[in-house]
Amino acid sequence: MKPAQQYHLDGVRKVFGRGQVALEGFDLKVARGERVALIGPSGAGKTTLFRMLNCTIRPTSGHLRIGGQEVADLYGRSLREMRRRIGTIYQQHNLVPRLRVLHNVLSGRLGSWSLLGSLASLARPSQLETAHRALTDVGIGEKLFSRTDELSGGQQQRVAIARVLVQDPDVILADEPVSSVDPSLAETIIKLLIAISDDTRKTLLVNLHSTDLALSYFPRVIGMKAGVKLFDTATSRVTPELLQELYSGHAPVNGAGEPYREPEHRRTAV
Amino acid sequence: MNHADANADQLAALKAGARDRSRASTWALLALLGALFVWSYQGSEIDLGMLFSADGGGAIAEYVERLFPPDLSAKVVADAVEGAWETLAISLIGTLLSVVIALSLAFFGSRNLVYAGLLYEMESRRHLVLLRRIPYLAAKAILNFLRTIPEMLWALVFVFLVGLGPFPGVLALGVHTGGVLGKLFAEVLEDVDLQPVESLQSTGAGKIQILFYAILPQVLPQFISYTLYRWEVNIRVAAVLGFVGAGGLGQRIHIALSLFLEQQLLTLLIALYVLVTGVDYLSAYLRRRVV
Repeated sequence: MKPAQQYHLDGVRKVFGRGQVALEGFDLKVARGERVALIGPSGAGKTTLFRMLNCTIRPTSGHLRIGGQEVADLYGRSLREMRRRIGTIYQQHNLVPRLRVLHNVLSGRLGSWSLLGSLASLARPSQLETAHRALTDVGIGEKLFSRTDELSGGQQQRVAIARVLVQDPDVILADEPVSSVDPSLAETIIKLLIAISDDTRKTLLVNLHSTDLALSYFPRVIGMKAGVKLFDTATSRVTPELLQELYSGHAPVNGAGEPYREPEHRRTAV
Repeated sequence: MNHADANADQLAALKAGARDRSRASTWALLALLGALFVWSYQGSEIDLGMLFSADGGGAIAEYVERLFPPDLSAKVVADAVEGAWETLAISLIGTLLSVVIALSLAFFGSRNLVYAGLLYEMESRRHLVLLRRIPYLAAKAILNFLRTIPEMLWALVFVFLVGLGPFPGVLALGVHTGGVLGKLFAEVLEDVDLQPVESLQSTGAGKIQILFYAILPQVLPQFISYTLYRWEVNIRVAAVLGFVGAGGLGQRIHIALSLFLEQQLLTLLIALYVLVTGVDYLSAYLRRRVV
């Protein structure tokens, strides 16, 4: 029996190398199957939060529980199993450009496959039907054998979604999934994510630059600014004043797309 | 003071600061370089007068005259072709050996694969991470050792160990180039784009799966390109290795030089020119194909 709580964060704090505080005193509860949008200006710590939620980085202090499991206790196989149950779609560069689309899609299975099985699949793809079905579900079944770097940004984002389909996780995290695609495509992709999470009763957390999309498609919205939670409420109770406070001191962001990426997004320690 | 003034003042201050810093350090660096050149010029006993004196020029002209015409008798040409073939074989097998050595060490020699960064962010067993530095440091030390000893020295060592002929040449090339390529491969691996790595890791993929699915597809073209480039270098080195008895064209050139067989020497030099140019073109063509 799975616990009803998907995420439980308690006083989470994250400090990066040079004493740069990315998150401070962060509390959050997300129920299984819930659909939540995160909004806030660049540098608010949204991406940092997501990288903790998918077990890429650990909190400097505080508690992070996923499905009742304390993440600090996980390592090796148990950590990989936890990651397998969380699917992530990034803003861009989710995929390996030189691999064929089918391998990028099937890489969603790596957490379930044996090492030898996964290496063999590079030479002789296993579960080709699974990959094709997932691609068909996101509307680009014909791209199965294409090289990934030949696809447009929107198509690549669909491949990333197909990979999550194949991974079949309990949670889908989408970190600004539409920031680097055509605005007209943004809505389609958000709808696709919602349809997937509805069909399979997955928890869906989406990080969005566009308040419009957040307010139209998500019942719960969290506003983040400078590493802290400003509000966390039902969408119906988000007021223009609240949004103004969220973005005060920043250029107003409405509609999809802002070329600037959050500074903590990449390369924290290599 | 209004905003515009404050901004202008700040900009001026910043510009002055940047100018001071860059001026001081640039001059210091130039002075250092200049001193180094003066010192090196004296150290290498350069005497341009000797090169261009009537005596020197005459000697060169006389020697060049004796090179012509090249000896194109069947026996000499066949020997040159055989030597070229041997040099080509040494460079090919030596480069192949170097790739084997490089691949077996490079992965241990890249921090991001062995103990640091994204793949180890969530590792709670810090003592394991510390232990993992040992293979890293060992791989680095071996690569440095292989690389810092030049091919010629390796060739002398291997001629002593396994005798004269192409085999010590192959070993010398393989071992030295193995160190060079191992270092280059490790650098390529440390420079890999991390976003695909992060996204694969977040699906629950293990490190070796990540290596094969996200890292190797990124680095293989560069590995191949570096290897081809080193092959170009090695064909020239293979020719020189013959001077210490490691077979090929070099050994024949060395003999021709020592016995004053100038016309045979020219034939051999022509063979070397054709061989090196051919390999350069082939390698450049192949590199264009992979990148």
